[in-house]
Amino acid sequence: MATTTYGWLVLLFPLLGTLAVGLGYRPLGGRASNRAAGWIGTAAIFLAFLAALGALISLQGHPPEHRQLVSSLWNYAATVGLDAQMSILVDPLSVFMILVVTGVSTLIHLYSISYMEGDRGFARYFSYLNFFVFSMLLLVLAGNFLLLIVGWAFVGAASYLLISFWYRRTTATRAGIKAFVINVVGDVGLVLGTYFIFKHTGTLDFLKSFHAAGAGAFGHGGENGDLVAGCVLLLVAAFAKSAQIPLHTWLPDAMEGPTPVSALIHAATMVTAGVYLIARMHPLFELVPSAQDVGAIVGAGTLLIAGTIGLAQTDIKRVIAYSTMSQIGYMIMGVSVGAYAAGLFHLMTHAFFKALLFMAAGSIIGAMAGEQSLDRMGGFRKAMPFTYGCFVIGGLALSGVPPFSGFFSKDDILLVTAERGGWHWALYVMGYVGALLTAVYTFRMIFRAFHGEPVAEARELEAGHPHHAEVGRNPATGEEEDSDVGFPGPIHAIAERALPMRVAMGVLALGAVGAGLVQIPKVDFVIDDFLRPSFAGSKLYEPHTRNGLLVFGLALGTLLALIGIALAHRVWVARPGTATAIRTRTRAGRALHELFVNKWYFDELIELLVVRPGVAAGGFARDTFERLFVEETLIGGPTGLVRAGSAAVRAAQSGFVRYYAALLVLGVTGVGFYFLLQS
Amino acid sequence: MSTQAIPLATAHLKGPHVDFAGLSPLIALLGGAVLVLLLGLLGARWIRSQAVPTLSLLALATALGLTIWQWNADKSIVSGALRIDGLALVLNVVLIAGGACTVLLAWRSLAAREAAHGEFHALLLTSIAGMSLLAAAQNTVALFVGLELLSIPLYVLCATKLRSELSLESGLKYLIVGSVGSATLLYGLAMIYGATGATDFASIAASLSSGSLASDPLTLTGIALCVAGLCFKASVAPFHQWTPDVYEGAPTPVTAFMAVATKVAALGVFLRLFDVALISAHASWGPAVAVLATITILVGNVGALGQSSLKRMLAYSSVAQAGYMLAGVVVATQLGVQATVFYLAVYVAMNMASFAVIVARERETGLGDSIQAVAGLGRDRPLLAWPMTISMLALAGIPATAGFIGKFYLIDAAVQGGYTWLGVVIVVGSMISLGYYLPVVAAMWMRESPAGEAQTGVQSLPIGAPSPEAGGLPALAGGSPELDAASEGDATTDALGLSAPGPQPEVVLVAMLAGAATIFFGVIPQPLFNLVHGAGSALGLF
Repeated sequence: MATTTYGWLVLLFPLLGTLAVGLGYRPLGGRASNRAAGWIGTAAIFLAFLAALGALISLQGHPPEHRQLVSSLWNYAATVGLDAQMSILVDPLSVFMILVVTGVSTLIHLYSISYMEGDRGFARYFSYLNFFVFSMLLLVLAGNFLLLIVGWAFVGAASYLLISFWYRRTTATRAGIKAFVINVVGDVGLVLGTYFIFKHTGTLDFLKSFHAAGAGAFGHGGENGDLVAGCVLLLVAAFAKSAQIPLHTWLPDAMEGPTPVSALIHAATMVTAGVYLIARMHPLFELVPSAQDVGAIVGAGTLLIAGTIGLAQTDIKRVIAYSTMSQIGYMIMGVSVGAYAAGLFHLMTHAFFKALLFMAAGSIIGAMAGEQSLDRMGGFRKAMPFTYGCFVIGGLALSGVPPFSGFFSKDDILLVTAERGGWHWALYVMGYVGALLTAVYTFRMIFRAFHGEPVAEARELEAGHPHHAEVGRNPATGEEEDSDVGFPGPIHAIAERALPMRVAMGVLALGAVGAGLVQIPKVDFVIDDFLRPSFAGSKLYEPHTRNGLLVFGLALGTLLALIGIALAHRVWVARPGTATAIRTRTRAGRALHELFVNKWYFDELIELLVVRPGVAAGGFARDTFERLFVEETLIGGPTGLVRAGSAAVRAAQSGFVRYYAALLVLGVTGVGFYFLLQS
Repeated sequence: MSTQAIPLATAHLKGPHVDFAGLSPLIALLGGAVLVLLLGLLGARWIRSQAVPTLSLLALATALGLTIWQWNADKSIVSGALRIDGLALVLNVVLIAGGACTVLLAWRSLAAREAAHGEFHALLLTSIAGMSLLAAAQNTVALFVGLELLSIPLYVLCATKLRSELSLESGLKYLIVGSVGSATLLYGLAMIYGATGATDFASIAASLSSGSLASDPLTLTGIALCVAGLCFKASVAPFHQWTPDVYEGAPTPVTAFMAVATKVAALGVFLRLFDVALISAHASWGPAVAVLATITILVGNVGALGQSSLKRMLAYSSVAQAGYMLAGVVVATQLGVQATVFYLAVYVAMNMASFAVIVARERETGLGDSIQAVAGLGRDRPLLAWPMTISMLALAGIPATAGFIGKFYLIDAAVQGGYTWLGVVIVVGSMISLGYYLPVVAAMWMRESPAGEAQTGVQSLPIGAPSPEAGGLPALAGGSPELDAASEGDATTDALGLSAPGPQPEVVLVAMLAGAATIFFGVIPQPLFNLVHGAGSALGLF
């Protein structure tokens, strides 16, 4: 089978899955206890994973210089100057992405079978989930800008559907709308950016665009203004999808979706799209270093700010969400400074340990019967040993403790950043400050949830009775809910009692421990070598490692992670109450806590700068412009005209042949006269 | 012109050489008509109700096969009376597809039963033969014979619902107005013959291109009458008045046939006569037809607003669509021909989908063709609701449907042919058309079915679930499909307590096939482009 055929299969299976489950929701998931929809959805993604493996093996059979394969199914429009094709690009970069996406998504689907058990929207859930994965695969496999935009928008739509999955929760629907609106800002950026690029290259195809750019479509030497605009707009798209400042506010709210959805959004799909986009467009970005600098600085800023917010949040899922933002900040920074392989390597390891963390968090939320606040948790270590183990493994990987996977990938990014020299050293320092913060907030979460005095729920569980809430409550507002469709189901699953969850978490734990070993500095270069054909034209790709810096970086990373863990231990385990003391006694502590808890006031800032003026302008326009001009003149006039015309036509349609005959004579006479006047 | 010799005076009679291969699709259709008529005389009921339509389908299939057999032909047959070329063959395929759909739709219809199945289907096949003839006509005599062969069976078909006054009235009206149209056309053709001394299209073109004949009053009067006559057939305003009345009154399968097939034949002959024979007079008739197209688009779209009868609405819509297609004729370019033929093919698919749904709902609900009949269809009968939705969106020209590509193509042709304003008119027309296409879609997905309304009062909903009255959203708007699963099993009874008809797989099949084709060619238009390209280059006179 041709390599690209595998690519098409990767797209086909999730699409079939979503259609099968979506159209057959009655037989497949109409009744409780019928989990066929879940298994079909999981199998669809697993088949896609197998196809992705096929693509990998088949791609390795090609010589390195021929590993960028384009396959087009048909032309959608092939008129002058426009080449819209249904084409995919199978190259090491896209194969790498589809492997990560399908692999992690398969496990998330598997986990969901248990986690969503008993939810009345079971089949709908799996239909959406498959659609989400399909959209993401379309995004990464797209061979031209048009299909990329389609996949990009599909991902946004799918995220809306899943975040608002519990559609009777007003908080969830609001979060879904927020995510969608901010994503549309990104979509607009992507479309406009594409336009700026298309204007010069004259083609939508990726490889042809890159070739044209290399051949001087944007001029030689110096930065082309249009290309800078195009690349910055692409960055806007990437920031919106990847939740980078200032377009990040949807991500923490997106925690309103079911926990596996959070895992899917954060680990395998969606937020990595921005990283992929910058990596895919590297031939363009390398022509305009100023756009790259924007990406690097925003990434670095995000990783620091998100880290500080993570320190102060009390909702367990939100802490992990901010940690995702922070880690994506590393990746965006990495691919913006030319650390492509390192950034994508971190994307892969992050997919493993972040999915693992979310799944473990889902398990503990299940044990708390839907409650998500860290304030209410504590002492689950004995009650949930498996979840605890997984959480710690994920936490160690996230903090970058050797030999867990995050250690290798994060330091790789920072190493390349430092090698760029100059002001990039500032980014290097920010990265390591962020690493310290990461360790602190991660272990704060672990210590608060699993250590200390067991709470009532933990004791019940130790005694063998999982806690069951009398009435469901919205964890964000505390409103009472029933367990019918549109709200979470009545059953809460925990990993200790559900085999599919344990299998999914176990596999991910192995990945979180071992995935870093595929690329150990100075020892092996699996990722570097594999991705090289996709970055063949890049000036920045080849690492020229400085040994001293490498050793220093690795040692510093380890040290900071351990210091962070120790700090967390001291504050939240050895001397409980320290945090409260810092927060209440000193004025600086109080101020910082306010700042972090309120998420640096970004929501308020956006409200003030964008929403309020928008609302005011909209209200003004509605009251004056629209009511007077649009409704009365623009709409009223033509509508009245059309209505009058309609009435006239119907009046002429009397049903009497004699009137028709009269009109007919009139018509023939009219036409006849016209022609006679011509002669 | 009086100096020209009259060819008839010196001609000695000689039977023309007949190319039976080229004529074979026509022979299959007419032979099929005879056989069907004979078979219909047999007594057994199943023969009449089952074997006759089957035989009609067989005749159509044979004709299709023979058309495909002739595929790359490009020849004149019957001493230049007919021309078998890309245009004729493509239109043949489209006509046969429309005819086959009609046979399926009429399978269980009252009209076919009352007209004794044999006659109904024989008339249908004869009419298709006339259209096929018309699409291939290469001289004015063949043109007129084809036109009458197509029209006369249609007059009768309209009146086949013998016990319905509306149907009879529709037949009579069509007969009167159609005869006036035919007469006008005949008069026009006679004048053109008088001016040019030729009946053959090529000869007419040749005489018009030399000298000042193209601006001669006699020629121009002839052309004017031809325009008017053909406009009757294509229901172009202001000669469209018969359309809504006849469409509404005729049995729905016949309406479907008239809406699609007649349009194909009429536009086909428009292309042949105006873009071939009268091409030299393009400067005179181009603007006139463009103005007629504009009036048609506006009158059709405006008239369709506010119609509660779906058939009437589609009648006006077909008037508007004829206006769009005239744009391809007006520009008289290869691109224009291609665009028109492309739109014709797409038009058949779009209309067949919606007419099939109307036929199905007429029989199921007893509400006739009122828009009420499709309310709530999305929930009850998604297999019918989807084709109807696709068809409505396609007729309005929403992207990802074939209707969009077709309109795009037509506008492209209009703009490149120097009629940019006509392109603008098409866009404005499509915009107005949303005003009557979308309410149908809304009725299907967002309203309760007439049967469901009676039930909701007693239906007990799950506790806490949003009741429809309390603003529960339909499935399309994010409502709960799971609620449906709960109420599954409630028998959908007939609003008027009529006995529910048996399943109508063939009608659903037509709807789904036509809907699928509309989507397919909207996403992958390339095969149809290729097909149409042959039709465009066949008219090699540009």
